[in-house]
Amino acid sequence: MIKLALTGNPNTGKTSLFNMLTDSYEYVGNWAGVTIEKKVGMLNNKRGQLIDLPGIYSLSPLSRDEGVTTLYLLDETPSMLLNVVDASQLERNLHLTIQLLEYGRPVVLALNMIDVAKKRGLNIDVEQLAKQIGIPIVPVIARTGYGCDALLETSIQSSGDSGIAASPRRFDYGPVLEGAISRLEAMLPKELTSARWLALQLLEGNIPVLQKLRQYVDPVQLQACYVETEKLVQETGGIRLADYIRDRRAAIIQGWLQQSVRETKEQHTTLSERIDAIVMNKFLGIPVFLAFMYLTFKLTFDWFGTPLSDALDSLLNGFVRDNVSSFLDSAGAAAFIKAVLLDGVISGVGGVLVFVPQIFMLFLIISFIEDSGYMARIATVMDKLLEGVGLNGKAFIPMIIGFGCNVPGIMAARTIEQPKERLLTILLTPLMSCSARLSVYSLFVGTFFEKNQALIVLSLYVLGVVVALALAKLFSFTLAKEEESMFIVEMPPYRIPQWRTLSRSTWEKGKGFVRKAGTFIFGGSVVIWMLGYSGFSGWNVPMNESFLQTIGSVISPIMQPLGFGNWQAGAALITGFLAKEVVVSTMGIIYAAPTDAGLEGAITQFFTPLQAYSFMVFILLYVPCLATVGVIRSETKSAKWTWFSVIYALIVAYIIAFIIYRAGLLLGFH
Amino acid sequence: MMTLLETTAGSNVKVTNLDSVHALVRRRLGDLGVMVGSVISLRKTMPFGGPCTIEIKGQWIAIRRKDAGSILVEGV
Ligand SMILES: Nc1nc2c(ncn2[C@@H]2O[C@H](COP(=O)(O)OP(=O)(O)OP(=O)(O)O)[C@@H](O)[C@H]2O)c(=O)[nH]1
Ligand SMILES: [Mg+2]
Repeated sequence: MIKLALTGNPNTGKTSLFNMLTDSYEYVGNWAGVTIEKKVGMLNNKRGQLIDLPGIYSLSPLSRDEGVTTLYLLDETPSMLLNVVDASQLERNLHLTIQLLEYGRPVVLALNMIDVAKKRGLNIDVEQLAKQIGIPIVPVIARTGYGCDALLETSIQSSGDSGIAASPRRFDYGPVLEGAISRLEAMLPKELTSARWLALQLLEGNIPVLQKLRQYVDPVQLQACYVETEKLVQETGGIRLADYIRDRRAAIIQGWLQQSVRETKEQHTTLSERIDAIVMNKFLGIPVFLAFMYLTFKLTFDWFGTPLSDALDSLLNGFVRDNVSSFLDSAGAAAFIKAVLLDGVISGVGGVLVFVPQIFMLFLIISFIEDSGYMARIATVMDKLLEGVGLNGKAFIPMIIGFGCNVPGIMAARTIEQPKERLLTILLTPLMSCSARLSVYSLFVGTFFEKNQALIVLSLYVLGVVVALALAKLFSFTLAKEEESMFIVEMPPYRIPQWRTLSRSTWEKGKGFVRKAGTFIFGGSVVIWMLGYSGFSGWNVPMNESFLQTIGSVISPIMQPLGFGNWQAGAALITGFLAKEVVVSTMGIIYAAPTDAGLEGAITQFFTPLQAYSFMVFILLYVPCLATVGVIRSETKSAKWTWFSVIYALIVAYIIAFIIYRAGLLLGFH
Repeated sequence: MMTLLETTAGSNVKVTNLDSVHALVRRRLGDLGVMVGSVISLRKTMPFGGPCTIEIKGQWIAIRRKDAGSILVEGV
């Protein structure tokens, strides 16, 4: 099986190309560090596999996601490397190309974003450049698919090539380095194929390579060789070893580009600069972001989501329920079956499904932020604030993704370089209010705060962020604090998101929510309904004597001080650990049974507005859902931190809901 | 000899020394093409001592002000 590996700098369009060539949909976004794990797909023509990897600047990784790519190249042997480069930033992209050529597999260069390069007035003579570098180059526009067929053809051809193309390329690094390389090569066992590449990578300070070579060679010897070379370079050139290597490569690249690239246009103010003049303005930066968030909730609730969701609600609880009911009657179904379907499944699953419009709207806006280029700007605008609490601006990216769903948010923390900052980000991202929680808010604000829906929901999102920042400050005092914080991000030019990308990306995110409703929540609803249908005295007991009531009553006294000491809320909270939407299903099942007034009518009997707000705050903060706990475990690889994330959240939720409820009472709210 | 922060926004300057920049930031800057000898310019600075953006060959990068203050440059 042919295996083609996509490699290249971050944000050069590798995943866009992957999607085109394999007809799949992986996550695309306009900032550096979108892809954080390896993805494998089958080529359109079924001739082989294509592997998408996280973007890297060089083969020596600084962060977790970059490590994925380096380890892939160390441990596996792809048939060829498909090197994606950004044509508008050729020079810096080619540093990686040199390292890939040295690696020793055939390389084909996908010259991507030629549309951008052309607009910038860069005139690239592709044939000449291909001759200079000595590899096939195919100009493409991954966004539109231009050139993709030709690229695939060329790649397949060269992957079958076992001649010169498949042997490592040698570039001359000057006498000092060449001496060190041959000494290292001699130390390495014969079976290692790309010894020269390994030696060079070691001299560049590539940690995974060092770890690999330690298995074969005495670490002390390796260290000695490195230190000696570093000293020699310092003495002869007065410059660091890594810088020396970089300079040598820069010279090679200069040679290539001199004859093949011409600038035909003067640089002038770009559209990106004009947009940045507003969104990154000294005073407007943070207000613009908040206004954008407010607009998001206005769209999600007032203008778009809620009207649709109401229509869906009346469809489900009217038309669908009536029809299912009359169908069951005519089919002569047992009363038990009828109750499971109507009171369990339709109330439970339907209760969640009605919020699909809101959730898709939110995902659409998040996708827009991701694909426009605003993400890196938000990170920059927020950096000062986050530095103050021991994080850096990049931590805000996982948090924004977390607004959609905490699971990918936590995974996105892989791009944060410093281990402590990454850990903090993982621990705090669950406080970001995700779309599942949105369904709980939708239910409550629709009932209690009809006039100020957007504002109330915005207040919860902001509360989540503020609590996260405060805790970051607290934790960074106590966690390892010796590590120095750092911040650097690449700011991509703004791009107008394509409608196709936006809709795909919204659907990919929203699909999970719908699927969960059809599987997990479906099953959960049946179980919850059963718990509500049975009790110590047998089947078909009143809800107030059911097992559900018993379970809910265990924690309701504890919740009394927060304003929601009824057993219904208790039961909803316990089941909500599975997934936060289950809170809505549980309430749907509990309250649907005795009354016909509808869910919203029923909850007004059990909550006052203040109690409802306190309940929402508790739901926002109390524990990460099951899936999130799982990903915290796998990303931190530590049971201790996983437990910590659950327990601190419970404590914080309790304290804050308590304060809000009590303060609210004192201020005369009810 | 001056630091990048002392230059006027938008004017091109040449990097002469990066030795006192945070080591990891220096690595990343190198990856993005900012080395001794590169021509860069300071663009925007965020308020309250926040980060600033620099431009190199049409590429924009945001770094902290402290790091920008340790990049030594000269006029071109
Ligand atoms: N104008 C233009 N934009 C492109 C082209 N190819 C990709 N893009 C855009 O560039 C951005 C980055 O695309 P991705 O495919 O996510 O890049 P990537 O290399 O996978 O990025 P990482 O996973 O972060 O390394 C997206 O906004 C794309 O829409 C192209 O040929 N022309
Ligand atoms: Mg990608």
